[in-house]
Amino acid sequence: MKKIKLMTHVVVGYPDIASTNELVKAMEQAGADYVELQIPFSDPIADGPTIMKACDTALKKGVTVRDCLRVMKTLSDQVSTPLFFMGYYNTVFHFGVEKFCKAAKSAGAYGLIIPDMPPDEEQHEHFIKACRTHHLAQIRVVTPASSSHRLKLNAEVSDDFVYCVSHFGVTGSSVSKKVGFESYLKRVKKYFKIPIAVGFGISGREDVRQVEPYADIVVVGSAIIRIIEKSQSFKRALEEIIMLIRSLRA
Amino acid sequence: MKLLNFKTKYDADASGHFGPFGGRYAPEMLIPALEELEREYLAIKKDPDFEKEFLYYLKTYVGRPSPLYFAENLTKKLGGAKIYMKNEGLNHTGAHKINHCLGQALLAKRMGKKRLIAETGAGQHGVAAATVAARFGFDCTVYMGEEDIKRQRPNVFWMQRLGATVVPVMEGSRTLKDAVNAALKDWITNVEDSHYLLGSTLGPHPFPSLNRDFQQIIGYEVKQQIQEFEGRLPDMLVACVSGGSNALGLFYRFLEDSSVRLIGVEAGGEGVNKKGRHASRFAGGTLGIVQGYKTIFLQDADGNIAETHSISAGLDYPGIGPQFALLKDMGRVEFSSATDKETLHAFNLTVKLEGILPALESAHAIAEVIKQAPKLSKDKIIVVNISGRADKDIFIVAEALGDKDWDQFIKEQAK
Repeated sequence: MKKIKLMTHVVVGYPDIASTNELVKAMEQAGADYVELQIPFSDPIADGPTIMKACDTALKKGVTVRDCLRVMKTLSDQVSTPLFFMGYYNTVFHFGVEKFCKAAKSAGAYGLIIPDMPPDEEQHEHFIKACRTHHLAQIRVVTPASSSHRLKLNAEVSDDFVYCVSHFGVTGSSVSKKVGFESYLKRVKKYFKIPIAVGFGISGREDVRQVEPYADIVVVGSAIIRIIEKSQSFKRALEEIIMLIRSLRA
Repeated sequence: MKLLNFKTKYDADASGHFGPFGGRYAPEMLIPALEELEREYLAIKKDPDFEKEFLYYLKTYVGRPSPLYFAENLTKKLGGAKIYMKNEGLNHTGAHKINHCLGQALLAKRMGKKRLIAETGAGQHGVAAATVAARFGFDCTVYMGEEDIKRQRPNVFWMQRLGATVVPVMEGSRTLKDAVNAALKDWITNVEDSHYLLGSTLGPHPFPSLNRDFQQIIGYEVKQQIQEFEGRLPDMLVACVSGGSNALGLFYRFLEDSSVRLIGVEAGGEGVNKKGRHASRFAGGTLGIVQGYKTIFLQDADGNIAETHSISAGLDYPGIGPQFALLKDMGRVEFSSATDKETLHAFNLTVKLEGILPALESAHAIAEVIKQAPKLSKDKIIVVNISGRADKDIFIVAEALGDKDWDQFIKEQAK
């Protein structure tokens, strides 16, 4: 059986910028295939309390979009794992869509994951176009609630892989409402002829085992931040995170 | 049909865009629910039975029409234009919020939803949502910023008595915008059986148009009532604006009457030159896309939402309804602001001269009337929207006025 790939997640500047750099390098060594660098935002509506608090902490420390671009530059010079920027559309919009895409690319970003910029608004925003111009992979997010029409619409504009939200909920919430992965991901596969990533509420080996038969990539976010939150020192957190990443596919 | 199928040239296009504002910038998790809501919205606009039921409950349950009242003493005192007050404070639950809550509850019933989610700032929308939930048999969860729970404790009590679960929101600035975020997340999680009863003319399409259509009853009535009093259109309409539900409710039926000046009043807080200490979007706000829609937001250099402040929890919000952003752009609606201090002065004057207790939100509009009326001749007519009554504001007003007896009473009660 093929081994499922792993995408991990950090909030830039949580707990601080030096730690973010260390964390991403450790993630690569532990075997992460992709890493999402989330740009902290004041109103992250697709995120649960864990990532929300991490964003808040980073913002209170004064982390800016320019800082995020610098972190991206530093890391992309040092790791070979593709790095994505994950963030909210107002961050991109406020920076200037074209300008942001250009800056992200030259900082070494592989692609962008912006969940609140639906393809329906492309004619007003020209965001997807800017991603194409600057050769950034533009990752679409779909959910169990997405109709065939929505899946088709997103499939038409997606690159590299599709990010499937595992259940009805925000990031970090547990997979309590099972949605019947098989039929959901079958529907997704009908429209997307690219690899399938599954995320939201993935925190251990058991969760990975559940999605493994249907997915190509699994995404872990909040579970990692929760380790940092609970640990007495960042060093301890780092060790535990490496262990978690290694255990996910053991 | 006389109400819900009304249209103007300032309305949204088919995708919910008001010129460069509005739209539906929602994460994919919410789009199916918004599409479902939009389908129902378009259907009820053409359904005479829905309108009939809506009007029936507006009359028998809400107590409409609300009176238009000639504020004779305030008019004399200011010495200029004649001032009329549209008193939405006399509605069931004490504010205009019940209008769109009733409409959305009937809509949710049609969609077969079992549960209502709402956010609230001052608590007026929360109380109205809890009320329609009780009346029409929905479970109800209301999100309210921790800061606002402190400011508007009486409304929390009543929401709970009405059977709603009030969830304190501890994130961000712990006010209205954080309550909107929390409500959106609840909706993302429970989208199959829940309806998000969003409380203003903001958010992703179709909410701005939907709530406006339910609120237009205010201006619809004023147009008839002022005809009975004066036999003509008013010269000026004034209303406070946060998201814009009461103001758009009053203005909407007058948008194409170009002789009528329309003035929206934002929360000036401690002064619009004090960054982070006001909620006037047109004083330093910039174009942004947050909470599912594009409009003018108070935000920092990176697009993070800025802190806001207002003496009134209901106006303490960083974004303005997208239709108002367009109306401002097109020059159809003028905007001004009233500071906390001006608001308290307007509140006191209205209480003493007219025996009417306006909510602090509505007192912002009166503060503007105090500035405008003396500049106009006596044959001019102003209509100001008293969007709600002040019962909920007892703690804030007592503290702001430094009422020692009340303070003593609270201390004794605490024992």
